[in-house]
Amino acid sequence: MQKDIRIETERLVLRLPRIEDFERYAELHADEEAARHIGGALLRAPAWRKFLQMPGAWMVQGYAMFSVVDKASGLWIGQAGAWQPEGWPGTEVGWAFHRSAWGKGYAMEAAVAAIDWVFDELGWSEVIHSIAPENHASQALAQRLGSVNRGPGKLPPPHEDVRIDIWGQSREAWQARRAVRGKA
Amino acid sequence: MSPFDIRIETPRLILRPPVAADFDAWAELAADEDVMRTLGGVQLRPVAWRSFLFVVGGWQILGFSPFSVVEKSSGRWIGRVGPLYPEGWPAREVGWTLARSAWGKGYASEAAAAAIDFAFDHLGWDEVVHCIEDHNLASQRVATRMGARRLREARLPPPFDTPVVLWGQSREEWAARRKEVA
Repeated sequence: MQKDIRIETERLVLRLPRIEDFERYAELHADEEAARHIGGALLRAPAWRKFLQMPGAWMVQGYAMFSVVDKASGLWIGQAGAWQPEGWPGTEVGWAFHRSAWGKGYAMEAAVAAIDWVFDELGWSEVIHSIAPENHASQALAQRLGSVNRGPGKLPPPHEDVRIDIWGQSREAWQARRAVRGKA
Repeated sequence: MSPFDIRIETPRLILRPPVAADFDAWAELAADEDVMRTLGGVQLRPVAWRSFLFVVGGWQILGFSPFSVVEKSSGRWIGRVGPLYPEGWPAREVGWTLARSAWGKGYASEAAAAAIDFAFDHLGWDEVVHCIEDHNLASQRVATRMGARRLREARLPPPFDTPVVLWGQSREEWAARRKEVA
């Protein structure tokens, strides 16, 4: 069903999740601040259950978030990409990064590659990002990507009590921006 | 061979890794109070989807995880049975969960025996356990039919955090028993 998908950007590799990603994934999920907007901090055992959701989605849906690896160090630094589980309010491109990778523009670099990929390979007509009103870092990234806040949305259980806004943009808006990026 | 090509046939059942089309029946099972009582309670469809992805992800990442069990005569998905050993689990387990419509036909034993064969022959495990709550008599009967003994008490890791009894047996015990049956 899925081939070995791999995307290279200037500083990053985006690829399918592997078992060796779990140590750093568990670190991210043990970090209260880093995990606050992705469902909250998790102990190792629940983090493992969550970790398997991405490879599971790759298998049954043919897409999910990529593992993002820093080329220079070879370290797993986070995940970014397509996400639309049962009941989700739209075709999301989401991201979550290990604290050691913050403040370097990695999330932006990975999100751009992931959005290119969903429009090219999945044919989505828009992307959304579900972002908590107090998550200023992700809002800033969504803005830099050219997405706009469309107002409050609702996530399915187990996240039904989480307040989020739906940010997003159409395929056309992205392609126009991409054409400019290409010439830059 | 990809683990997703694995397919086991028993007289009345097919065991294979889950596919997307199994999810409707999976979600129905997850909404059944009687079935889910010992499994952390009923799950709404979006929550059941997360569990479904977890099981498929196990196949992808570890090369084993519970099988989807299909009734040959009807083509119906009737449950999930098979090996699991997630982070923090007390031991290597072969577990079973069948939809209520498939109870009382010996299907759990038929599927569990095939899955235990798979765990010993294909995965090379030395021991197989079954984590069973003390009041779950139906599963204790299946474990007994498999030849499992009551081994020890244990606790499932979060998010379950529940006490269970481990039933189980060694590879040698299973092999001796299988010879007897054959």
